[in-house]
Amino acid sequence: MASKFAGRRNLDFLLYEVHDIEGLFSLSYFEDHSRQTCDLAIDTAMKLARNLLYPYFKEMDEREPVFEEGQVKVHPIVKTMMKQWGEGGWLSSSLPFEVGGQQLPVAVHMACSHLFGAANFPATGYSGLTTGAAHLILSHGTDEMKDMYIPKMLAGLWQGTMAMTEPQAGSSLSDLASRATPTGRGYYKIRGQKIFISAGDHDGVENVVHMMLAKIDGGPPGVKGISLFLVPKKRPEADGTLEPNDVTATTVYHKLGYRGCPITQLSFGDGDSCRGYLVGEPHRGLSYMFQMMNEARLGVGMQAASIASAAYYASLEYAAQRLQGRKLSSKDPSLPQVPIIEHPDIRRMLFFQRAITEGSLSLLLQCALYADLARAGDVRDRERYELLLDLLTPVAKSYPSENGILSVSQGLQILGGYGYCREFPLEQYYRDIRIHAIHEGTTGIQGMDLLGRKVMMKSGRALEFFAGEVQKAIGEAEAFEELKPYCTRLQEALEKCRAATMHRLTFAMKGQMEIFLADATLYLELFGILAVAWQWLLQAVAASKGLRDDCSDRNKNFYKGKLHTMKYYFHYEVVKIQGLAARLLESDALMVEMDNSLFDD
Amino acid sequence: MNVAVLLKQTPDTESVIRIASDGKSVVTDDLKWVVNPYDEFAVEAALRLKEKHGGSVTVISCGPQRVVESIRTALAMGADTGVLIDDPALEGSDSLGVAMALAAAVKEINPDVVLCGSRAVDYDMAQRGPMVAELLGWPHLAMAVSMESDGKTVTIDRPIEGGKVVLESSLPAVVTFGGSHAVWNPRYASLPGIMKAKKKPLAVKKLADLGVDGSQAGTARVTMTSLEMPVARAAGKVIDGGLDTAGKATELVRALHEEAKVI
Repeated sequence: MASKFAGRRNLDFLLYEVHDIEGLFSLSYFEDHSRQTCDLAIDTAMKLARNLLYPYFKEMDEREPVFEEGQVKVHPIVKTMMKQWGEGGWLSSSLPFEVGGQQLPVAVHMACSHLFGAANFPATGYSGLTTGAAHLILSHGTDEMKDMYIPKMLAGLWQGTMAMTEPQAGSSLSDLASRATPTGRGYYKIRGQKIFISAGDHDGVENVVHMMLAKIDGGPPGVKGISLFLVPKKRPEADGTLEPNDVTATTVYHKLGYRGCPITQLSFGDGDSCRGYLVGEPHRGLSYMFQMMNEARLGVGMQAASIASAAYYASLEYAAQRLQGRKLSSKDPSLPQVPIIEHPDIRRMLFFQRAITEGSLSLLLQCALYADLARAGDVRDRERYELLLDLLTPVAKSYPSENGILSVSQGLQILGGYGYCREFPLEQYYRDIRIHAIHEGTTGIQGMDLLGRKVMMKSGRALEFFAGEVQKAIGEAEAFEELKPYCTRLQEALEKCRAATMHRLTFAMKGQMEIFLADATLYLELFGILAVAWQWLLQAVAASKGLRDDCSDRNKNFYKGKLHTMKYYFHYEVVKIQGLAARLLESDALMVEMDNSLFDD
Repeated sequence: MNVAVLLKQTPDTESVIRIASDGKSVVTDDLKWVVNPYDEFAVEAALRLKEKHGGSVTVISCGPQRVVESIRTALAMGADTGVLIDDPALEGSDSLGVAMALAAAVKEINPDVVLCGSRAVDYDMAQRGPMVAELLGWPHLAMAVSMESDGKTVTIDRPIEGGKVVLESSLPAVVTFGGSHAVWNPRYASLPGIMKAKKKPLAVKKLADLGVDGSQAGTARVTMTSLEMPVARAAGKVIDGGLDTAGKATELVRALHEEAKVI
């Protein structure tokens, strides 16, 4: 295992120098916080990551969950982790004080979850879902639900889940078949099958609380008939005992990676005695669930960036130690071999990883900051922040997920044959990260969300706000001579994105929806590169300011490294926008106007 | 039972340490500072005493303002109050000077027991505990890996070569802590603890406030004359030079005899 999995200096740079989260502390909602409390929280998260999570990263993978006698059994440390997270207040860190939370800025909460995820991503499946489910109950549940479930969940004693997917309804939620029958006794009778439910059942907790989507008998068809139910594995009775609620785990999946956390198949109401409690109003379940889903999407992006971070540091450490070959300019075989970090191609792979990881992290913290400002910022600006967050959520989910796969792959490549062996951590990072482009909405779904909904919503205002943010960054960067060429490049990238957007929208206006969205994933890819380029320019501005002001040798190296990575990103990655834009500006319908017989061979 | 913990802030053990141009100090500009790990064991032991006997835990430290962060860390773990002795006179001081200041602060609080790490991970002086005990005239139990107290006496275990020794003393006493992270398993600060720590009392004092003569405590009797990094290991030597096996063996024997001088 490598000695480092996340960069603390980098986190401070992003939080305080790039995104200036100290500005939040002057808002009344965050007035109890200061840099000192946030630093203490992050320091403690780092300790937990280092001492409690990282040592079990490999072991939890090797001892994957088993399904025995109707019960999912996980590594015993899961219980300790959940307890520590619960007792330490980590599961409720960004929830309001009045519900027992610590009202931490989402940006700081995300920074902490970055450290947890970089140390042991599979372990964060348990905590992330519990927090998300508890937040959903807090937002839309009844007081009774809040009293009965939230304290146990936030204490890490009860697991929360998000139970949406069914065998015939994965990305297509309108085809859900789970049913809820009113009983007139304060609950519904639930029947249905759910698949791919993360942490859906395990022995690291006393109980599991499913936030489940189902259709009430006689409700409208499609997504308009979906309601949200709270369905516990065991029902808490008035005397505090727990009664079985006819929820059965039927299997655990055997996965490529993410093995430390069980993904389960669940059956509800086999014995006709499963009780579900309606959350919010009937038929509005999907809109409620989107709250949890949007939080989870940012969480997924963060976990992908975190795995990429751990893989980057592991391969960096290896590259600095592994002796192999000589400089091309001095091939004398009597000379000692050089560390492979001396070779330009290895450096390229390292910068690729660093650019993806730190660019993604910056974008995710930017989104977190928008979430904080949408909640607590100037009332007149809140809608703008909400729209920016809505627009960027599919980007911040999918860019780290897709590019993280490539990034970890390059890390593995640096280790050569060793990278492919289980004695080194890269192969696990490679397996673990693959899930992120799939769960919480595949990349394809994110592409359609971005182009089909987010770009169009409110007459395209979100996109205009975004362009305004990019323009603002360019304006700031122009104050520094060294950054001027990159201002030009970012401006060009923004124009390409605008042109591609307009061109794709012409198909929508003509009602050619299939063609409009056929290449939505490519549009998302282009948008992702643009958004991360924007973040790199912001980082370059902060680094230039750091260099301009007096700083120590070590800080100088850090800032110069940031500028070099920014340049890497523009010279190696931003150029890809040209190819993507070229495709998006074409007008054919290659993927639409064709017959599947073309696949015959 | 009232407990005082002496806490030192040290560079994070994962920090890259660089020696300053004067050759006898380290560059502190961008170091990450933490609670000395052995003192963290003492904080944990103090909180266990408080859980058992009630009372309060006071954390006492010397140093500049940045040390506040480490005191707050201990407060976030569950300690009750903090005292920082921040006096420019101590800047050129030595272990004895620091011990004088700490002992004076302890006297003001008058605790039942004083706990601290047996050493600090920066300079490994291992003097603070014994010196404070001497200045207070209290017994000193060194290098504890476990500790019990009934409120009147204190008992510790210390591992020794091939076994362990159990020591007991009446209170008040000074106990210094050895062992490891795995032995003490110090608790993590909780987020509610962090929020509470902000509001816990933390007094900043000068030497004069404690009745300590700055010229005496600030005069170093022991001075650090130089700091050196471990000698870098030289690269290994590969014997090849187109020789056959016998030739390589001959060359190896020659090198071991004439260059390494080990045979």
